[in-house]
Order: sequence, then structure tokens, then C-alpha cells
Amino acid sequence: MHLYRTILVVFIFITPLKANTIYNLIKIPNLEIYEIDTKNKLRYLHATKPFKLGLNIKKNISCYNSDKKVLDQKYKIIHKNLSRYSLNFLKKINLKYIVLCENLSIGEIKTAGVPDNIMRTLILDIKFNEEYFERAIHHEVFHIINDSYKDFFNENEWKNLNKKNFEYSKCSTCNNKWNLALYPEPKGFFTEYSKSTASEDMAEVFSHLMFYQNENDSVDLIINKKIKFIKENILKIDNKFKF
Amino acid sequence: MIEKIKISISERIILIFVILLGIFSLTFLIIIKNKCLFVKNYNPKDIQFDNPQNIAVLNTNCGNVIIELYPNVSPKSVKRFKTLIRSSAYDDVAFHRVIENKLIQTGDLEFGKRENLNYGKIGTGESGLGVLQSETNENFKYKKGSVGLARTFQMNTEDSQFFIILEDEPLFEGEYTPLGKVLYGIEVLEKVKFIHKLEIVPRPDFINSFKMLDQ
Repeated sequence: MHLYRTILVVFIFITPLKANTIYNLIKIPNLEIYEIDTKNKLRYLHATKPFKLGLNIKKNISCYNSDKKVLDQKYKIIHKNLSRYSLNFLKKINLKYIVLCENLSIGEIKTAGVPDNIMRTLILDIKFNEEYFERAIHHEVFHIINDSYKDFFNENEWKNLNKKNFEYSKCSTCNNKWNLALYPEPKGFFTEYSKSTASEDMAEVFSHLMFYQNENDSVDLIINKKIKFIKENILKIDNKFKF
Repeated sequence: MIEKIKISISERIILIFVILLGIFSLTFLIIIKNKCLFVKNYNPKDIQFDNPQNIAVLNTNCGNVIIELYPNVSPKSVKRFKTLIRSSAYDDVAFHRVIENKLIQTGDLEFGKRENLNYGKIGTGESGLGVLQSETNENFKYKKGSVGLARTFQMNTEDSQFFIILEDEPLFEGEYTPLGKVLYGIEVLEKVKFIHKLEIVPRPDFINSFKMLDQ
């Protein structure tokens, strides 16, 4: 017992000091403030060095620091899109910190974002596919919403909106050839990626609603039902929300 | 007969030099030993306060820290804080987490008491009164001297531990429950023992007493 205590005390005393306030708040190393004085109180942080995260020793999430010029350019786009969410809504969904970095990957699979509603953080890859970048921002925000309100976005209820014989893939990363391009004539799904999992399908519908705003008239019955589902449940969270 | 030997000039210079060196060393030693030497100690009785019912006086080795509490900003948390202060719960509690020129943290009533210091668990102790709901306020500016309730990385886990910041911390805004602000004596806190590159302070300084002004 004495040996255990001694080891514990020695360990505490040799643990390097992490006086970094950002690290203490969101447990991501190598970050600095990019902008925190925003109207909806979102705090933008950026990587100053590459970082790795993960629950186990393997730390399977990795991201890299960016060039200042790219960062400045992409921040404008990200800020423009995320400014559409009110402080009240962001508080309800548990989102406060946006981490900007590049070449974000989970287990070596590239991804646009890593949402974490517990730490109130969304990590965004600022070099993610240029063509779908803005849509991807809202897509990732939806995952935060979904994680905070699992009961509202019931996957079984959602699956029933599809044709009876349709089945989603087992996971969103089972196929790395998922295409994010919009179908010219969507039949139940906006993109090929929508067919990966129910939650990705929901996120695609939400991002479509946010990105195309007033151009959401669809002739497809399933798509219309999905839009209605997303809108109704988002309004349950915040009845002043504007798509 | 013993012949009297005269001291030469060079020997006199050496003697004066040795005496001066001794005096200088002794003075220097006294100054270094006494870290509180140039710290002003404020006597709350000499100061007029607008809200004396919200003034708390924290006494450490170097003197008094006079804190104004803000019940209008965080009513439930300040109420708890006052309850603990009035019961002398914070007396003899360690400043267990001190980061030079940045932050000092104290208030672990379970593992931070002078007579029951537990280095293995310090910082995880409870008051026995249960946890509080966070009363964060986006508009409260965490400027140097601000006092806030500490918590785990999760919200709504505040209890008795509190911190005082020694520099402006805009990232704390909306994150931690504000309790008040140091009005006088921040320099006293800057003398609290810290160890470079260590977060938990071995053989730490302690709060001598923490009382409300009207107590």
C-alpha cells in the first residue's frame, strides 16, 4: 500500500504541467485561439502543431496545423455558415468550440469533421473537399444535434420513411467510395452517401436544408417526408430556428 | 616585549571588504527568506465597502485578500460559498493547484486540509453538501482577480473548490461559475507557493482563515 502511494505521489509530481487553458477545457493539445469574439459565442481555435486524439493508446484521430493564408480564407466561409446558428440553439445542442485543422482522419480514413457534444467541440478539416465544403459544415453540425437529441431523431422511425426493401450499409466508413454529389433526380436520397447509414442520411437532409435554404421543393415523396421529419424535430429543440 | 605590528592599508581594505560582504549576505538572506517583505497587507477595517455583506477576507501567510462576492450573478453558488466561509470550512486548506502568474486553486475540504493532506487525492475532494448546477454567465468577464468555482471537465459538478485567476482569461467566460472578484491583495496571491512545471504543489501554502467581513 505504501509502495502504491509512493508511486502515485511520484507520478503526480513528475506529470508535466499542462497550464494550457484550451487543453484543460477541451482536452485537445496544440491549439491556439483563432477568434473568440463572435456574436453567437462560438470559439474558433486552430492547430499550431499536429495533434492526435483517442480513447485508447492508439489515438486514432489525427489532424494537422494549417497555413495561415488557408486558415484565414477558410475561416471566412466557416464563420459565415456557423453564424446562422443562434447562441441559444448552440447552447441547447452543446456546441461551443470549433477546432480548425487539416487532413483530419479517423483511423486513417479522411473525414470532414469530428463532432463531440460531450466536450462541446467540432473539429473541422478546413481542406475537406472544396466543392461540398459548406454543406459538410452543416452536415457535421447535425451530428452534434443528433448526439444531443437521440430521442428526437429516432433511427427506426427514419428508416420507415424509406422504401420497404431498402437497407442502409452497416457503417458510414465501410465503403470509402461514397459520393457526396447531389443526385440530379433524387429518389429518396440526396446523395450516394445518404445511403450509408440513417444518421448520415439525416445529416445530408439537414445540410441540404441549410445550404440550399429556400430551394427545397422536391417532387419526391420520400424526400419530402424526410425534410418534414428533420424540420419538425429541429423546431422541437428551438422553435425559433431558421433554415 | 611584544612588538606591535601595524596593519597595512591593503589589509585594512580586505578587512572592510569582508565585513561589507558579511553584512550584504546577511541582508540578502533575510530578504530572500521573507517572500512577504514587500507585500502590502490590507486591513479590511480601514476600507469602506459599498456592499460589506458581500465582502470576504481570505488570510494567507503574506496577508489579506479582500474579495467581493456577486450574489446577483451566481445566487446559488455564492450562497453555498458564503455558507462554507461562515462555517470556517476553508481554514487550513491548501492552495493545491498553483500555476505561476496564471491561477491558484484551493478549497478541497476533504483531501486538502493541513492535518489531513492527501497528495494522491487532492483536488478530488468534496464538501459533503453535494454538487451544484453551473451558473455560467457569458457576460461575466474573467479579468485578473476574478474568482470562480472549479469543476471537473463536466458542467454541473461544482462543489467547494474555487480558483482565483492572476491574469485575464477570456476562455473562462461562460465556462465557469463566477463568484466574485479580488478588490485588494492580489499581490498576496502572487506570493503563494508554486513549483515550476508542477501542477500539484508539494508542501503547499495554506489558507490561514477565510471569513466574511461581518463575521
